[in-house]
Amino acid sequence: MPEPDIADTLVAFLNADGIPGKRPVHAWGIGASGVFVPSPVAGSFCIADHFQEKLPEGYPKKPQVVSVTVRFSNGSGSRQNDGAAGPHDGWSDVRGMATRFHLGDGSATDLIAMSLPEFFTPTPETFLDFARDALPRPFRRETPWQKLRDMLHLTLPLPDPYPGQVSRPDDGAMDYADRNRSAQLAVFQAASIGAPVSYVRATYHAVHTFFVIAPDGTRRGVRFIWQPIAGALNIDLRDPAQQDKVTRPYLQQELRDRLAKGPARFSLMMMIGETGDDFDDSTRPWPPHRVRVMMGTLTLDTVIDCEHLSFNPLLLTRGIEPSGDPILAVREWAYQKSSQVRGGVPCPFSQR
Amino acid sequence: MTDAPGWLDRFVDSLPERGWFQFLSRYVVVPYWAWRDPKPKLPGGPRPAAQPGENLQCMMNLIMPLKDPSPVGRAKAALAIAQNVDAIFDGLDNVGTVHTARFLLLDGNLCMISVYDGDFSNYIRDFIVTIGSVFDEIMDLVVGGEELKPTAQNVDKFIAWVHAHDLFQAPDFPTDLFTLQDEAKGVGPGGPPHELRSLPRALILQLHANPNISLGGGYRAYPGFSAAQVRAKFGVGW
Repeated sequence: MPEPDIADTLVAFLNADGIPGKRPVHAWGIGASGVFVPSPVAGSFCIADHFQEKLPEGYPKKPQVVSVTVRFSNGSGSRQNDGAAGPHDGWSDVRGMATRFHLGDGSATDLIAMSLPEFFTPTPETFLDFARDALPRPFRRETPWQKLRDMLHLTLPLPDPYPGQVSRPDDGAMDYADRNRSAQLAVFQAASIGAPVSYVRATYHAVHTFFVIAPDGTRRGVRFIWQPIAGALNIDLRDPAQQDKVTRPYLQQELRDRLAKGPARFSLMMMIGETGDDFDDSTRPWPPHRVRVMMGTLTLDTVIDCEHLSFNPLLLTRGIEPSGDPILAVREWAYQKSSQVRGGVPCPFSQR
Repeated sequence: MTDAPGWLDRFVDSLPERGWFQFLSRYVVVPYWAWRDPKPKLPGGPRPAAQPGENLQCMMNLIMPLKDPSPVGRAKAALAIAQNVDAIFDGLDNVGTVHTARFLLLDGNLCMISVYDGDFSNYIRDFIVTIGSVFDEIMDLVVGGEELKPTAQNVDKFIAWVHAHDLFQAPDFPTDLFTLQDEAKGVGPGGPPHELRSLPRALILQLHANPNISLGGGYRAYPGFSAAQVRAKFGVGW
């Protein structure tokens, strides 16, 4: 089985500049707890426990409320390797939302999502190539003459460095995308994704396809999306009142302050794929014209410490199955290996 | 380290907001690139797709330039629609695949905006069968329309005309624009990728070729369902 080998290589590569005991990517994060309430229709699309509005015989006869643990994170906030350690909350970056549903029988299932709607490459091997190319490189502000040249060529301007920023992955990622069509959409969107005003004001996509099993046995290829009920909103650095966010960490405190005042909510939307859609390639999002099903509502109310918790995108439960996406397959092993390396709470797969 | 912008940086950063630079861009830079790297006008309407969901709730954004764009000419167009409301509603019900349709007067154009299920040519064909007389009246008012009358006897010609006046629908995923431009030039998918930083230029030059476009495939409250399915669900009879 090739996954463990390439997973080891990936984790070793991503850990090369990391800090022992910390995640190699998405290193800066904060936890929250709350509940997930399935929608009245969720159970007719998927037999998984957390999608049942009411539990089977023997369980309380009332609407089900599923306990959840969520970890929000910054994709590339640096802990040490670019001379400007920090979460860089105000920098344009992909954010993560890992959710664990604690099921009634004591087991759990995870849903791992990010604010980018697609992944960078279609296979683990190409992702390793991408990760090598996209290593942060030292950079300086473009000279005025280079900027003028960009304008006259009608090309995408390179962003100015944030205060204190001395390296960035964009140049290598752009170079890779110039040679690999499949990476272009993700690299383009990641370059302009911005920074949310809050972890709970971003939309998160679980970019891989999963198959959900309905009570009548129907098997559907689906993709999940967390939509913030408060709406998605980025900071605007043209607004003088917000400019300090580029240098001051704010996302974790904002979440503490927000949840101290009241809960934050997300809708879990499920897109149903169709024949002809690519189920095994997470570099290709599906068009927004697929049937959408509202699967439930997540309500977060408390900030918790879950930094040692290990999530895994293939921690699934009865009624949800993985697609053949090779990136999804390798993530099982990569997350497990990463958890071992940093000494996190053992991944549920570690007993294998 | 500090990398604060100098006065020249700030000046160059401000250029896109300066009138003279916008003038230069509009009348020199864009025409130069349009000459050097011309983009063909991309066809209007939805693109062929195998997925059922791509053939439901399709959009038509038909822009018909009026022969007389004066208030009097626009009033004639408004009157032509107003006098045929019954015929239009009857036709829409008979076609059966239309979710919504409406007419707009926008500057010197009469626009028909509709959302329909199924194949574009069949949609137009069905329309001509049911409300060809209304379109004949409209053709009297729009540029190039007289050659298409009577529309019921010039169906294929009329379909081609509508297709040419239907807005190009920009792709839902921005980098797909490269592929559409390549296809229009006869370049297959095996060609080398475009430089990603050139995407803004690709879009600007496409807007030079297609000044009016639809931005993406649009939002749908209940994607993936036909008008017939919605009617059946509500039990409204046809």
